[in-house]
Amino acid sequence: MADLFENYRLGPGWDEMFATAGMPRETYESLHATLQPLSSADLGVRADVLARAFLDQGITFALKGIERPFPLDIVPRIIAAAEWSVVETGVAQRIRALEAFLSDVYGAGEVLAAGVVPRSVVVTSAHFHREAAGIVPHNGVRVHVAGVDLVRDEAGVFRVLEDNVRVPSGVSYVIENRRAMSHVLPEVFASTRIRPVESYPSQLLGALRAAAPAGAGDEPTVVVLTPGVHNSAYFEHALLAREMGVELVEGRDLICAGNQVAMRTTAGEQRVDVIYRRIDDEFLDPVQFRTDSILGVAGLLNAARAGQVTIANAVGNGVADDKLLYTYVPDLIRFYLGEDPVLPNVETYRLADPDVLAHVLDRLDTLVLKPVDGSGGAGIVIGSQATDAELAEVRARLSRDPRGWIAQREVKLSMVPTLIGNRLRPRHVDLRPFAVNDGTRISVLPGGLTRVALPEGALVVNSSQGGGSKDTWVLAAPLGPAEPAPEPRPAAPHASPAPRPDPGPGATSSQQQQQQQQGGASC
Amino acid sequence: MNSWRLEIQHETGFSYDGRVGASYNEARMTPRDEPHQAVLDARVAVWPAASTYRYADYWGTVVTAFDVHTPHERLAVTASATVETLPPGDLLAPATWADLALSDTVDRWHELLLPTPRTALDEELTALAEELRGAHRTPHAAALAACERVHTEVAYVAGSTGVQTDAVQAWRQRSGVCQDLSHLTVGLLRAMGVPARYVSGYLHPTPDAPVGETVVGQSHAWVEWWAGRWSGFDPTNGVAIGERHVIVGRGREYGDVPPLKGVYAGPPNTGQAVEVKITRRR
Amino acid sequence: MLSRIAESLYWIGRYVERAEDTARILDVHLHQMLADPWVAEDAACRSLLSVMGAPTSDDMPLSAGRVVTLLGLDSGNPSSVIGALAAARENARGARETVSSEMWECLNATWLGLPDARARVEQQGVHAFFGWVRERCAVLAGLADATMSRDEGWLFLVLGRSVERVDMSARLLSTHARAGGSIPSWLTLLRSCGAWETFLRTYRGSLDDRHAAEFLLLDRLFPRSVFAALSTAESCLAELAPGPGRAGVATDAQRIVGRSRTNLEFRGADELLDDLAGVLAGLERTCSQVNDAVSRRYFRATSAVMWVSEAVA
Repeated sequence: MADLFENYRLGPGWDEMFATAGMPRETYESLHATLQPLSSADLGVRADVLARAFLDQGITFALKGIERPFPLDIVPRIIAAAEWSVVETGVAQRIRALEAFLSDVYGAGEVLAAGVVPRSVVVTSAHFHREAAGIVPHNGVRVHVAGVDLVRDEAGVFRVLEDNVRVPSGVSYVIENRRAMSHVLPEVFASTRIRPVESYPSQLLGALRAAAPAGAGDEPTVVVLTPGVHNSAYFEHALLAREMGVELVEGRDLICAGNQVAMRTTAGEQRVDVIYRRIDDEFLDPVQFRTDSILGVAGLLNAARAGQVTIANAVGNGVADDKLLYTYVPDLIRFYLGEDPVLPNVETYRLADPDVLAHVLDRLDTLVLKPVDGSGGAGIVIGSQATDAELAEVRARLSRDPRGWIAQREVKLSMVPTLIGNRLRPRHVDLRPFAVNDGTRISVLPGGLTRVALPEGALVVNSSQGGGSKDTWVLAAPLGPAEPAPEPRPAAPHASPAPRPDPGPGATSSQQQQQQQQGGASC
Repeated sequence: MNSWRLEIQHETGFSYDGRVGASYNEARMTPRDEPHQAVLDARVAVWPAASTYRYADYWGTVVTAFDVHTPHERLAVTASATVETLPPGDLLAPATWADLALSDTVDRWHELLLPTPRTALDEELTALAEELRGAHRTPHAAALAACERVHTEVAYVAGSTGVQTDAVQAWRQRSGVCQDLSHLTVGLLRAMGVPARYVSGYLHPTPDAPVGETVVGQSHAWVEWWAGRWSGFDPTNGVAIGERHVIVGRGREYGDVPPLKGVYAGPPNTGQAVEVKITRRR
Repeated sequence: MLSRIAESLYWIGRYVERAEDTARILDVHLHQMLADPWVAEDAACRSLLSVMGAPTSDDMPLSAGRVVTLLGLDSGNPSSVIGALAAARENARGARETVSSEMWECLNATWLGLPDARARVEQQGVHAFFGWVRERCAVLAGLADATMSRDEGWLFLVLGRSVERVDMSARLLSTHARAGGSIPSWLTLLRSCGAWETFLRTYRGSLDDRHAAEFLLLDRLFPRSVFAALSTAESCLAELAPGPGRAGVATDAQRIVGRSRTNLEFRGADELLDDLAGVLAGLERTCSQVNDAVSRRYFRATSAVMWVSEAVA
């Protein structure tokens, strides 16, 4: 029988499963023990079941207008409790700093006055929306949901690659991946203590309710605003609405009159208090932004300004996840929180300084070049993998628009075994943990979306660039004395077996015999 | 000091080729209360009747937002205000070219040093800015010269341009309205490294106007620049900002302070009306 | 419930019923055409297309195969079997958080199976394809029944299904009326509704034109009869209407359906059958009026608004 790990060679990045060839790290021991004896055919069957389940449930994303399943690799990615606690603390710390920054730049601007962040970085950001100045959220939260992209560098250290505080997507895959994996690898689930992820929708709903405007009462009405079925993340919008038990609305379902927002229902108009929007700022309100938007709701921004509705995430958050601002986040953490950053950035060059630009232009082929307001991996140039023509083009673009780009050291992302054909091969992964801020606490979902670059050696993991995903298992901490084991649920004291279900009037076996005997023996 | 008291009645709106079912608008037609002018009374009324919502935007301009849901073929907005204004103060500003080049200064006014779509210059105008800068010892003198140059070279011709016209276009045709002359001046100032902003407001057309006489005034625009402190000038009329000027809003350009803008759903817009009446009361 | 979602559910009901009924109608008619060498294929095809609301001005002689293409497999036409299934799925996609996930999966899997179904037509013939369609529709009906709460969403789904059923049954009966009452036979019609056995039990084997028409129009117990479908639609509308009004019937739609139902109920079977064409035309009118009234009342303006910007200096 062929070995799944046959010819598995450690790649250039940190291998998450193997410390040395053939020797799994402690975290992965149980998984490795399960996979090792499986034949590639066994694993292939399970992988097919996984793919089919996704297609039937319509767990898809749209790429160039075609719906396709987001490939889920059968080998999960596992993170030990201690490693996770660093991620959790670091992500929450970042969100706290970014919240403070957003409230500051759309308000007093202390960080600018103090010279921590140059005004030029803020006022030239394409996502600094002056229209959002003066909108003060009722509970102070602007980043209700965040997705922070992390990578593990060559030494296994988690580093932040970028922040997403506008409309981060992908959490539905975290939930669905887990459901699907528990069906195909039940034996590993039984032997591993994996922290559950299914509570995410209720956490999100809690945070959205907590953000409701003052006049909303005890039962605020929350809706999810989607661009519609043709959006690549529509599946996620529907899943979140369904699991939160709230309406999934499109812009045309909402009407804003006199700063009150309502949805059109069969019983007339019903007031809406909180809008979890999955539409970009530019399309949200034709009065303030693109007037040709048919996805948004006219008047929405002023309704939020008047404190009659909460828009989550807040409008204008993009100024905080601009990739140039990213280079200042460690300074923001020190400035606002007086703490040192828990998670380091990847080494990044700001190109506004002509000397830095010249330095970068000299070594383009060793760096990663990113447009500052690109998303989904669009426009990224990896110097070491680019052709001379591509390098020449990016050189020209950098020189023309240094504010529009950053340059980063090329991190060899960590690798996890991935089913390629009928063998397991190391492939590069990243990690997007999701955080929810309800105003009193920032909760980081234990897990997150691990994206995997499927082509050999590829470093861009985005779904729009042909990436796949992995279920991400965060292991539960061994229980310390401070944390008592949950009490086993007591069984009913005198559980007597329930009676059998009632039998129908069906034929008894003797009747059957008789019926069979009628008509004589056939030849 | 001889302050004026001005009463302003600004009527504007749209008419349509049929019934409009819904419309959302924002009016920036309320004078600002500030050291140079005191607002005694200001209100904005809308027809068809709609409740209005007032807020101060990023630039500090008072915005009156409203939405109309009763079908209408004509939308009218009337702003009325009573404002006390002062004659020009002294125009001196102390900053040197070196002061303006300090990185702190550049950072502080960064937003007002960048070109915007309507204030961006071409090569010819950039060269003109260089020339003006080289010819004057202080930023303030250069700024006044820029105003003067625009005032003499570009003729004020009502209706010669539209709201989308940019500085370069107005320069090439050597004509425009106050909006264009202001965009041109602001563009030149920024190219010289002088932080500059576009001001929208009203102008009483007559110096030494008699009290009690109502005249047809206009929505007006002029410029301000920072050279150690803020100073203003009216390049259209070649005069300093004084008792005849009423400030409504400031921004990088017209796009930050349009008197009335919005969206509606319905048949084509067939016309717009603007009428400003100004009365000197004191 | 959101107006847009209600509208989607109503149309899921209509489209699925349309797919099923069209499949049933096509199945028996094509079978008849093939089985009976005396049928003039071109005329029979034209009559069928016209009754189904898809008349063709084509001068080319029509074949059964062409009819299958037009009414069965044309994915661009929401009134063809495949088109209706795709349209139902598209509606469900926009109402995904409201329909149960099992219903969604069933519709989605059906949609994913459409390319295979086409191949099936070529390999196993149309009968196998229509059988598959009936089965998928039955699974869907079963899942709806088993997994949907009996809330507003359910009522709109059933309302759509019932309105479509009235419309389709009227068309089915028209195929008989138009062909002068001989082709297709009542036997065929009853079979296409799956009503053959029930009919035999009810009328104890007497296959009489009047009985057959009476059964398909008026039977109170058979769920595919026009009367039963109208009654179901009526009770859905009654449950949807907000509270009992002081006088008369609350909504336009209720009035229209009620009038149509009483018209069937209180006229004798003989009288109805003498004017069958008129009765059927009336039923088709009723359906389109109900559709309009329901849309006006419950679905309102759910289309996107095009905004135009305006500014003055």
